[in-house]
Amino acid sequence: MFPDRRRDLLFPTAGSVGLFAVLVGGALIYAAVLGGSAERLITAMFIDAIMVIGIQIYIGNTGVLSFGHIGFGAVAGYVFAIFAIDPERKARWIADAPAGLDQVQVSPIVATLIAVAVTLVVAVVVGIGLARSGAKSGAVAATVITLALLFVTHEVAINWTQLTGGNRAPLSFGIGDTLDSMLPILAVLLVAIVAARLFAQSRAGRLAKAAREDNLAARAMGVDPQVQQMAALLLSVAVVAVAASLRVYEIGNITPRFFFFEYTLLTLVMLIVGGRNSVTGAVVGVVVITAARELTRRLATEGYELFGLSLDAAAVDWIFREGLPTIGLGLAMLGFMIFRPNGLMNDWELDEWLARRWLRPQEPGRPTLGPIADGAAHSRARLEADGLTVDFGGFRALGSAGIVANVGEIVGLIGPNGAGKTTLVNVLTGIVAPTAGRVLVDSDDLTGEPSHEIARRGLVRTFQNLRLFSALSVRDNVEAAYLIAEAHRDGRSRPSIDELIAVAGLWDHRHRRADELDYGNSRRLELARAAAAAPTFLLLDEPTSGMSDAESLAMVEQVRTMAETIGAGVVVIDHDLNFITGICDRIYCLDRGAVIASGTPDEIHADPTVQAAYLGTAAPA
Amino acid sequence: MTELVQNIADGLGRGSIYALLALGVAVVFGVMHLLNFAHGELITVSGYAAYWAFITGWSWYLIAPLVVVVAIATSIAIEQVAFRWVRNAPDFTLLLTSFGVHFLIEAAFFMYVSAAVRSFDRPDWITKTFDVGGINFEVFDVVVIAVTLVTLGLTTLLLQRTMFGLSLRAAAEDFDTARLMGVRSDRVIRGAFALSGALAGIAAIFWLMRAGQTTPGAGLTPMLKGVLAALIGGLGSLRGAVMGGFALGLAEVLLRSRLPDSIAGLTDGVVFALIALLFIFRPQGFVTVAHAERV
Repeated sequence: MFPDRRRDLLFPTAGSVGLFAVLVGGALIYAAVLGGSAERLITAMFIDAIMVIGIQIYIGNTGVLSFGHIGFGAVAGYVFAIFAIDPERKARWIADAPAGLDQVQVSPIVATLIAVAVTLVVAVVVGIGLARSGAKSGAVAATVITLALLFVTHEVAINWTQLTGGNRAPLSFGIGDTLDSMLPILAVLLVAIVAARLFAQSRAGRLAKAAREDNLAARAMGVDPQVQQMAALLLSVAVVAVAASLRVYEIGNITPRFFFFEYTLLTLVMLIVGGRNSVTGAVVGVVVITAARELTRRLATEGYELFGLSLDAAAVDWIFREGLPTIGLGLAMLGFMIFRPNGLMNDWELDEWLARRWLRPQEPGRPTLGPIADGAAHSRARLEADGLTVDFGGFRALGSAGIVANVGEIVGLIGPNGAGKTTLVNVLTGIVAPTAGRVLVDSDDLTGEPSHEIARRGLVRTFQNLRLFSALSVRDNVEAAYLIAEAHRDGRSRPSIDELIAVAGLWDHRHRRADELDYGNSRRLELARAAAAAPTFLLLDEPTSGMSDAESLAMVEQVRTMAETIGAGVVVIDHDLNFITGICDRIYCLDRGAVIASGTPDEIHADPTVQAAYLGTAAPA
Repeated sequence: MTELVQNIADGLGRGSIYALLALGVAVVFGVMHLLNFAHGELITVSGYAAYWAFITGWSWYLIAPLVVVVAIATSIAIEQVAFRWVRNAPDFTLLLTSFGVHFLIEAAFFMYVSAAVRSFDRPDWITKTFDVGGINFEVFDVVVIAVTLVTLGLTTLLLQRTMFGLSLRAAAEDFDTARLMGVRSDRVIRGAFALSGALAGIAAIFWLMRAGQTTPGAGLTPMLKGVLAALIGGLGSLRGAVMGGFALGLAEVLLRSRLPDSIAGLTDGVVFALIALLFIFRPQGFVTVAHAERV
């Protein structure tokens, strides 16, 4: 579950405790200095913090924007209220609640657990809908579904009066029955911070973040994003459900507008301002927005003495009006989206900062590669593609094309632009479904399987137009693919992550973010990442595109070494004929969607139809 | 049977308004991949303009064009002030930006106009009905449907027969290529917002006639209906958006008339749940738009 116990379990836990201590310590000192009203403020802030951390677990790890989490909160809040409020008070508002719910009363803890359970059931249904709609970072349909959820819960809360009391009769606890201690809130807050950090570092969290950065590339490495998104959603909704129960219990009642647009806006702005990709960011956002709101509230109610300057009340009257907080939140959202979309903290985490200082100096040096993996054991594996046909509308991109490749061999695909080379690789890796034809690895029929399944069964590709997990470090890029190999490519001995990075020549860059790499290194990272998935066959789509001649030559060596290191066969597309003839054992030449020639590099060079296809002269009859 | 026919007429009337809103959402989505959560605010702003005109003594025949003009101007202004700064931003940023604009406009009316409901008289023909073969039709529904059909026809002509329509469709297909072919991005985006505003303006006329009031939060419901309808239709498809609007209107009316009274208030909830189901079985909406990712 946690790839590296020290990095992913020990440090995040310690860092989360540290973050918790700073937050709570600071808030308690503030409350002690100001007394009275400040205590209510920080109680509300802690509950908001739990809520925002809950939302961060989903949005931060998946990149899917959700407006619906407060809707989940509404479900949890009502379930909690209905179960925790005493029957006598319920008789006043919802005397004829369905299923005898007006007679039930359980302890607040049990009520919270019931609320979490019910909300999780709703979350599973919504999660399936999200998955089906193609949820991924920035996906519009998924966001609208979450928005619809928020409205459905609101509509139900208003209209199902037998159960909720609707707008006119807020379900409320008796005076003195509400939460009177801060301890449960603090305990939940600590658990929420730790859970959020541990999830982000866990296998599921790492794969979710890979899919957040590039959904297609993640699938091509064998990640099924829907699984990780569901995991993130359930954990996130569980935290939100507890936060909602606490909020209702602390305030002492619930009305439909408690968990609707206003609270959605508030929590989202907190998350965005702090930085949605970071748990620390979520906490920082909560503090900053709470402080800003408190400051304006004080200015509005206690006059305009600011840093010793007293302002004329009439002059600022147009600012300090009811509605100002909403304007402020709207402006904050707009401002951050335009000028700093990743928020104040971006993806900074306290424990990662600590790990950089403590763990990194202890890291072992650059690994030297031991004996080559058991490449020989796989040398009989054979990739066979046969009769592959793809029609895009009326355009036939591939017409009955086929190739064969063996492990231990490097096979080239050449052909003019539009010949169908990339389409062929897309079909092999399940990104494009063929109209006809078959793809076999040995006797394993991969035709029509989804991308991630094909990758798990041994066909892994790189991308011509660079699809790295940009915001992740070089090492995390490789690690995401490696985690898949660990689970699904079990029979194969694999080089370690560090060895792969060293072979790719990226050792000195391993801690840099992928989007900081130059072009050549980005290409090498594509190669290392694909190799980390422990493929039987590595499909390289133009690995030298955009490289200088010297770099291309170096790449020949790298591809060879990498293929030998992981014991894989290679199919490589390239335009660079020097590269192709320098590296390949056999070459297929495609033109207009069909294989027009195949053979050794020398045979291909001499073939008149190949020359015709490239140079455009008429082919001899 | 007669009830069904009445329901359908009613549903088409309601659906017409949704179709206009959804089409506006889809046009903007097409050119800049922005799902405009602030679309409903066009109705809010024109609503206050209509209220002002009403207390000044204008008749509905003058208010109607005013509403359209205000909606167009507001639409262009929102684009200039907010959306142009995030034009090439990731979808996540676009979504939250328009969400922020939605709240800003709502809060501005709340602070500087009033939180109170502003009411105006509805035109007197709005509640009239007429009888065809024993079936009662509302004059209003017929007018709405007729005006919507004319508007859709004109929009189709605009998109199919003019240079602007061509560049808009080209930009929706592939913005970068369209720019290389000489489509001016500034102009086509502003045009899309103007068209979207005009469609929202026409929808606003009927929305306001029927509501007879406006509040700072009045844009929320029409925004949601427009966005949902565009989504049902398959985001990015203009034809789909119109179909989605009519489908949503029909579904609402048919459900409302058939649900038992005790839960009739839950119509919207049931409709949303149905839409969620639709997505589970047909995730791409009615009309599939090929968003092939280049690999």
